[in-house]
Amino acid sequence: MGTTAADYLRELGSGRRPDLPETTTGTVRLDVREDGRTEHWRLEIADQHVEVTRSGEDADLVVHGDRDAFDRVAAGEMHVSAALLRNELTASGDIRLFMMLRRLFPGPANARHPREAARAVAERGGRP
Amino acid sequence: MRQERVYVTAGSAFALSDSRGDMVVDPHAPVGLWSFDTRFLSHWVLRVDGERLNALSRDDMTYFETRFFLVPGAASHYVDADVSLIRHRSIDDAFHERITVLNHSAEPADFTVRLEIGSDFADTAEIRQPRERPVEVVADPARNQLRLRYARGRFARETTVTSTAPVDVDEGGMTFRIRVEPEGEWITDLHAVAIIRGAGGRDLRADLAQHRHHVRRGMRDELRQWLDRAPTLAAERGALEAAYARCLVDLASLRYLPLVNFGAVPVGGLPWAMTLYGRDAIITCLQTLAFTPELTPATLRMLAAMQGGRLDDEHDEEPGKIVGELRYGEAAAFGEKPTALYYGAADTTPLFVVLLDEYERWSGDADLVRELRHPARMALDWIDEYGDLTGDGYLRYLTRNTRDGTVNQGWKNSPDAVAYADGRLAGFPRGTCELQGYAYDAKRRGARLAREFWGDPAYADRLEREAEELKRRFNRDFWLPEREYYALALEPDGTPVDALTSNIGHLLWSGIVDDDRAEAVAAHLVGPQLFSGWGVRTFAAGQRRYNPVGSHLGAVWPSDNALIVAGLRHYGRDVEAARIAAGMFEMAYLLGGSIPEMIAGYGRDLTKYPVQLPAAGRPQAWSSGGLLMLLGALLGLRPSGDNLLVNPALPPHFGRVELLDVPGRWGQADAYGRDRAASGLARRPRVR
Repeated sequence: MGTTAADYLRELGSGRRPDLPETTTGTVRLDVREDGRTEHWRLEIADQHVEVTRSGEDADLVVHGDRDAFDRVAAGEMHVSAALLRNELTASGDIRLFMMLRRLFPGPANARHPREAARAVAERGGRP
Repeated sequence: MRQERVYVTAGSAFALSDSRGDMVVDPHAPVGLWSFDTRFLSHWVLRVDGERLNALSRDDMTYFETRFFLVPGAASHYVDADVSLIRHRSIDDAFHERITVLNHSAEPADFTVRLEIGSDFADTAEIRQPRERPVEVVADPARNQLRLRYARGRFARETTVTSTAPVDVDEGGMTFRIRVEPEGEWITDLHAVAIIRGAGGRDLRADLAQHRHHVRRGMRDELRQWLDRAPTLAAERGALEAAYARCLVDLASLRYLPLVNFGAVPVGGLPWAMTLYGRDAIITCLQTLAFTPELTPATLRMLAAMQGGRLDDEHDEEPGKIVGELRYGEAAAFGEKPTALYYGAADTTPLFVVLLDEYERWSGDADLVRELRHPARMALDWIDEYGDLTGDGYLRYLTRNTRDGTVNQGWKNSPDAVAYADGRLAGFPRGTCELQGYAYDAKRRGARLAREFWGDPAYADRLEREAEELKRRFNRDFWLPEREYYALALEPDGTPVDALTSNIGHLLWSGIVDDDRAEAVAAHLVGPQLFSGWGVRTFAAGQRRYNPVGSHLGAVWPSDNALIVAGLRHYGRDVEAARIAAGMFEMAYLLGGSIPEMIAGYGRDLTKYPVQLPAAGRPQAWSSGGLLMLLGALLGLRPSGDNLLVNPALPPHFGRVELLDVPGRWGQADAYGRDRAASGLARRPRVR
């Protein structure tokens, strides 16, 4: 079974994220619903770092959803953009930060480097 | 005979109908009211006393407003009607239709006016075979309203149609039983709203704060201002002025505000590509920097925000890659198509860097270059880390989505577009030649940005070394000495794929061609195999797979030709450039109206008239932009420091041309040109 969103978020806030633009700053709050309760996670993005706290304080972008939806995103099973289109997650505020959030979550577990895929095709004589 | 289609459009929303304004599902065209890749009305048919209507005439007022003048009855018999109708249709965030019924007789008249209304909530991906969906229909006579709703889990789409006049509403539509006085009229306004349900049942778009700012109020004013901001063209030939004006209006019509909103960005075009395509958007921006530069910063920021961040096979995503296609419909939402964010394009990433640099040269907007340093650097890194699939230093592609990934990830993306002259298809991963040109250009431009704006001269040196090395190897490995052109592609083992194609023109545009080979390349571009008389064919005649009606195997694309002409001028091949551009402009004058996506590759001497293709969209952003780029290339517009350089080389009989108030870092500057027949003088570059 994949990582849950809570596991993932707990481990997120350590170390520099060179994949984030140094110009990106902002706050994101994730409102994770489960059994009538809502758990709040607050991400503060600045200087290629993400600081994660448990806080219901207001944020530039607020993302709501069921725990199951967040877990599927965190496990790389559901694309976060698809989750938004599907209305499994809803977002209000600075939607541009939503695109950054996309990068904070992992991709699908079995993804390959393109060179790896190319080697596999080469072994089949250039036919995919 | 193909049926005429009439559209109104605003952003990514559009309504496509027949010539009388009716919309009926057609597997060959996305007929109906569409918004965010969903069909909100698939059936919209007007009858009077049970009869369909017949179009007398139409007034296409703007791209977002049309009036249909109609009478009941079939077109086949003589019409002498006592009654006529006007359908006045417009679109902004909602769709409006005012129906006016006119009684031309001296007696009061009773009519039953029926509007059949339905929606299948189809996704753009399933035009050919729309799926059956359970649509909940609520007739609400108290509100003069019909509501159609489709839900799948939390995903919900709804259309409400409301009439201002009292009406009988049933599940299939609305019926007006009316009496119209002698010489009198009756009016109702119908208002159709497309709702995308988001948080708590509210409209998703209303929740996105920025999107609200752009409710399209004052669309006519906005269009006028758009035209005012563009340079003014005064040309001896009226047809050129008309074509120019049409391109500007078409570009205005093909802008939309994405949910992630940095300002309006170009969509691909009607009717199939009313969404962001990374390639089309970047090329359109590159084509229009002298005319409508405001498209570019929004496009660059938007693409940077969507830049790939991780590995994902289904979406062909890698860190640093620039997106290929973005859709909002049900197929994207449920992962039935990988289009929520699809990265299956190998050219968008280097072209992103090319656009950023070119934009700075025109605008002097150094802040944007600094703001986008990180995404530009990631894009440059992508070329070597993820784009070089066999480790030999060439940019190649291979989809990792074997279900419905894009097989060919250059601009010629139809499945059989990359073939040898004898018809064999190339193996994977494929490295087409123009991708190497783009990569070379991106590295050179990236070096300039690193040196002048990012304070990183060491990186600049490295990029320049890599670019020179790439050019050297490219000219060794892709050149076919006995045929004197560059191969279309290289096999994974380095074998050249020997087809003669328009791609060689892109190489001139990118500057990767060795100077002493430009003449031979130019000769092929205007030679009988490639040049149709209207323009350069995608794939040269005489080769096994050549097909004049094949999109990428023989058809002629204005966008392609615009880059080719710019490339020819870049290498001083002015005569060849003028010849191709002349053909393109003649095509535009003869067809009139919007520049099509492509025309057939038949020889001009055979057909005398440009042959249009049913598959060709119209208008298309990069076709409209292409014509502007052709004009800019003929005038030789080029930023040079803080000046606009003008170096005209117009085709014979092109006439005198004045392009006034070209915007840029110089403020506004004017460009003048006259063809050689008119001037008889040697031309000299002139700095203004």
